[in-house]
Amino acid sequence: MNYDNINEKLSSGQPILLDGGIGTEVMRRGVRWRQHGIEDAPDVIRDIHVDYLDAGVDVLTTHTFNLTKRNFINFFRDTEHMSLIGATSLPTKARELCHAAVSLAKEALTQTGKIETIPLAGSIAPVMHLFRPDLSPSKDDCLTHHSECVEILSDCGVDFIFFEGMNNTREAQAALQAAAEFDLPVWMSFIPGLDGNLLNGEPLLDAANLARSQGAKAIIVSAASLSMITKSLPNIINGSPCGAKAIVGRYSPPSWKPDFYPSFVDTDEVSPEKYAQEVNSWLDQGAQIVGGSSGTTPEHIRALRGMIG
Amino acid sequence: MSYKELKSRIDTQQVTFLDGGIGTEILRRGYTWASHQLKSKPELNLEIHQDYINAGADVITTNTFQLSKRSFRNHFANDEHLAAIGARGLLDRAGELIHESVALADKARRSINHNDTLIAASITTLEWCFRPDHSPDVEEIYDEYLEELTDYADAGADIFLFETFNSTPEAEVAIKAAKEIGIPAWVAFVPYQDGRLLGGQSMAEVADAMGHNEPDVLLLNCAPPDHITAGLEQLATLWDKPLGVYAHVGKFNPPEWQFTDEYNADQYLQECKHWHNLGATVIGGCCGTTPDYIKKLTQFFS
Repeated sequence: MNYDNINEKLSSGQPILLDGGIGTEVMRRGVRWRQHGIEDAPDVIRDIHVDYLDAGVDVLTTHTFNLTKRNFINFFRDTEHMSLIGATSLPTKARELCHAAVSLAKEALTQTGKIETIPLAGSIAPVMHLFRPDLSPSKDDCLTHHSECVEILSDCGVDFIFFEGMNNTREAQAALQAAAEFDLPVWMSFIPGLDGNLLNGEPLLDAANLARSQGAKAIIVSAASLSMITKSLPNIINGSPCGAKAIVGRYSPPSWKPDFYPSFVDTDEVSPEKYAQEVNSWLDQGAQIVGGSSGTTPEHIRALRGMIG
Repeated sequence: MSYKELKSRIDTQQVTFLDGGIGTEILRRGYTWASHQLKSKPELNLEIHQDYINAGADVITTNTFQLSKRSFRNHFANDEHLAAIGARGLLDRAGELIHESVALADKARRSINHNDTLIAASITTLEWCFRPDHSPDVEEIYDEYLEELTDYADAGADIFLFETFNSTPEAEVAIKAAKEIGIPAWVAFVPYQDGRLLGGQSMAEVADAMGHNEPDVLLLNCAPPDHITAGLEQLATLWDKPLGVYAHVGKFNPPEWQFTDEYNADQYLQECKHWHNLGATVIGGCCGTTPDYIKKLTQFFS
């Protein structure tokens, strides 16, 4: 069980290196963003995983963020409307793509000889757009959605569940409740707003403590700028496993799509070296788990590995 | 042709032709439509407009579906959040692209000496068109429409085509803003298989609401042919002013389109003949239709 390796590191206080952006890296490598690039460019996705593994990550994350049935249904009035005007493949598409995404990650682990050692984190996004806490649905709805996501990734054989980019307490609780029905460790990352609290304004400190009490093995702040992450970090540091990863560049959404689309510009404004300096200060403050959010590349992660040693 | 001439043609029941899909045409020609491709592939926009004009469209539409300031803002928690992590100039981007879209349509008509082709600004609901449950509070959107329509007016659009609307209240706000600006408004609603709007209103409610607002043309669009027929059969008995239709062919495969052979251009023409018999005189194509579809129509009806 590869999670045991990480668990030992967590307990002994060693730094743990996560990977960086995957969606942004798929786009940066010129792949058209549809179905996460999984159908068009599986080789590119496998290569990205390999590059992160070569850069020295301790955990590999699946390319499954936002890859859900709900994400397709959201384009239609309801499932009946989808069945009438949508492609017939849509009801099962997300599940198939998740399986393909996990296979690609496993192939990368095998290819690099790390399939027995590096744990695979199954990435799950918020039900709705990660930057729109106001769209997050009812607790029951969140529970149903996240149960399905965890079930799929559990079937795929990930080593643990990584809820990424939670933006409100209600959904975070529902996600953890859903995951509790499965026999997998769970990590959770929260998105901070400008004031260092949760993106929807709720106190991050309370959200983090609540998540720990519900079984989250590690709490992370993510999907925000370096300064926002730095400001929020004290709210999650309490001696138990925690960490941080920031966006580099600026989110440049497309002109019509309503869901998250990993298109970032000005990503060269934060060089791998500068990013590593910031991350070093987080480690000094007590963060243990570090990596990169959207816009970061294998070079950023390599710089972190160089710094951590 | 001036708008006045076009209107008199429409008012005298002569068939008038719209263009077909643009976003789907960009996809069919091998490119993503995620950013509309207005600045990244202007020549592609130009070619598609030219192809539709050459196919016989009297009115071409701008490549601006779902493009609005709100479309960008909707990706962030609030404007402060947008300022912190969003691309620089993001709030100006919609206005810039709108100007670009009209300029490209204008360039297309001039480039092939069809200066008489009219340009309709494609404007849909502020929130996602197929989600009536996300419709904004109509009390709060007038200024937003006014700002957006002003961009199209400044750029030189001839018609405001409010399309793929799912309910009448938002359409009424849009028409009101169009009247303030003084450019004619056409309104197209999405019907469902039961002949009601996607948002649930009956066609009687549509006719009643639009009767008070008087768009120059009332249309149905962005649904498969059988849904268009179901809506038109009801609406035609309730509406004695100009009616139009443009259906989609194929399947929505977010974020792109699945082209199917369910309705080829000949079969689509058969549907259009049926809609014409039911009373529709403004006819074109929505997602999935191509210049060939429009050419079939113009050849038959002309």
